[in-house]
Amino acid sequence: MTKLFDFKKVLTNIPELLTYLPITLELALLAMLIGLVLGLLLAIIKMKEIPVLKQIAAVFVSLVRGTPVLVQLYIVYFGVPMFFKYLNQRYGTNLAVANIPGFVYAVLALGLNSSAFSAEMIRSALMSVGRGQLEAAYALGMTYGQALRRIIIPEAMTVALPTIGNSLISSIKGTSLAFTCAVVEITAQGKIIGGRDYRYFEVYCSLAIIYWMVTIVIEQILKFTEKKLAIPDQVENFTENK
Amino acid sequence: MSFIEIRDLHKKFKENIVLDGISLEIDQGDVIGIIGPSGTGKSTLLRCINQLEIPEKGTIRLQEQEINLSSKKNRKEILELRQNTGMVFQQFNLFERKTALENVEEGLLVIQKKSKSEAREIALEELKRVGMLGWANHYPRHLSGGQQQRVAIARALAMRPKLLLFDEPTSALDPEMVGEVLDVIRQIASEGFTMLLVSHEMAFVRNVSNRVIFIDKGVIVEDGTPKQVFYNPKNDRTREFLAKMHMLELEPEYSI
Repeated sequence: MTKLFDFKKVLTNIPELLTYLPITLELALLAMLIGLVLGLLLAIIKMKEIPVLKQIAAVFVSLVRGTPVLVQLYIVYFGVPMFFKYLNQRYGTNLAVANIPGFVYAVLALGLNSSAFSAEMIRSALMSVGRGQLEAAYALGMTYGQALRRIIIPEAMTVALPTIGNSLISSIKGTSLAFTCAVVEITAQGKIIGGRDYRYFEVYCSLAIIYWMVTIVIEQILKFTEKKLAIPDQVENFTENK
Repeated sequence: MSFIEIRDLHKKFKENIVLDGISLEIDQGDVIGIIGPSGTGKSTLLRCINQLEIPEKGTIRLQEQEINLSSKKNRKEILELRQNTGMVFQQFNLFERKTALENVEEGLLVIQKKSKSEAREIALEELKRVGMLGWANHYPRHLSGGQQQRVAIARALAMRPKLLLFDEPTSALDPEMVGEVLDVIRQIASEGFTMLLVSHEMAFVRNVSNRVIFIDKGVIVEDGTPKQVFYNPKNDRTREFLAKMHMLELEPEYSI
């Protein structure tokens, strides 16, 4: 009689799955990066109330928040090539759409998704830095960009760090949908392994363990960074001959 | 020609007229005390001068350079104007994530593009001037209000501004810390910096300024030496205000 649950298989699956972990991490980090940069842009557009862009940003955020990631992945994966094909037909260009790897689509879709969620979090972090510091920076003669880079963002970062951690974690979990764009990361590989002997349940258990461990590591890194960024409770007095 | 000239400054918030045509000529080395009832536009005047508020109308001339304050368009000129004016805020507004030393260095590095060592040298010198050298490594949250304000003064001084703006520098301080900040301001005033000082410390304004202006309802009502304004005001509104501040004994406080 075959075993109902092969515990050993849960463990032996892990090394093979781990070879695809870099893809998962790359997807998550790149998507996160796009999400933060675009999110910052969206936050500034909303804060500075830039006309036209403000409305476009609002529609974008609403659209992305109002649709599932899976659907967004499909739309980017099928929509972008169709758009390029349209361009090719219309202008007789020869843009090689087929050469774009699925990875790019996945990063793009996940990044856009994360940006919509980051935007509000970044905006609230930026606004948590008192207006006084911005005015002090202006009074010195700084531009908004300089003040943002030197004064506002460094302080907002410490405020936003826990939420950035959260969105990194959810972005890691979001990568499990990248199979949609024909990207083989750990979940996709898990399905492939499971298909060999139909021991899907074991492989899903292995996946759960890996995702959980990765999340724990990220939490620890965040804790460490937070401590590192905190202003020390006490500092020594300044002496000139140092 | 005067050193700095502010002409016809108008500012309103919605329907509220705060500045109703203020013109002011400032000579080099002037220490001008600005007094007046709350909400009459004293702070707004300072904030319009370096365009933290944008007035509806008004120009400023810094030596030869004339700048239209009511437009947001001349960005380069405004940045230059701000570099030539230093501001000390009521709430200190130090950069929270920077040490006292870094706070003072910031403008020197970013705006004046000084080298790291040069900026450090100037910053230490300025911290010494305000008696905060020992606290150079401390962050604002480690400092008392009075100490923070002294660092803020050092930050403004380090830029060597042509005009220093003090916006009620002691109003947010506990009473026992007011003295240390006033001492620093008095010392700078004696060193020849040109400054506008909005304050409710009447005795201090009287002592430190060489000229006092009284602003009420958005216009300059009285303008003269401290002696003239405090002891011999021409206008009834000034008289009334000073009486309220107990600076002018119009009638005995008690009568039997």
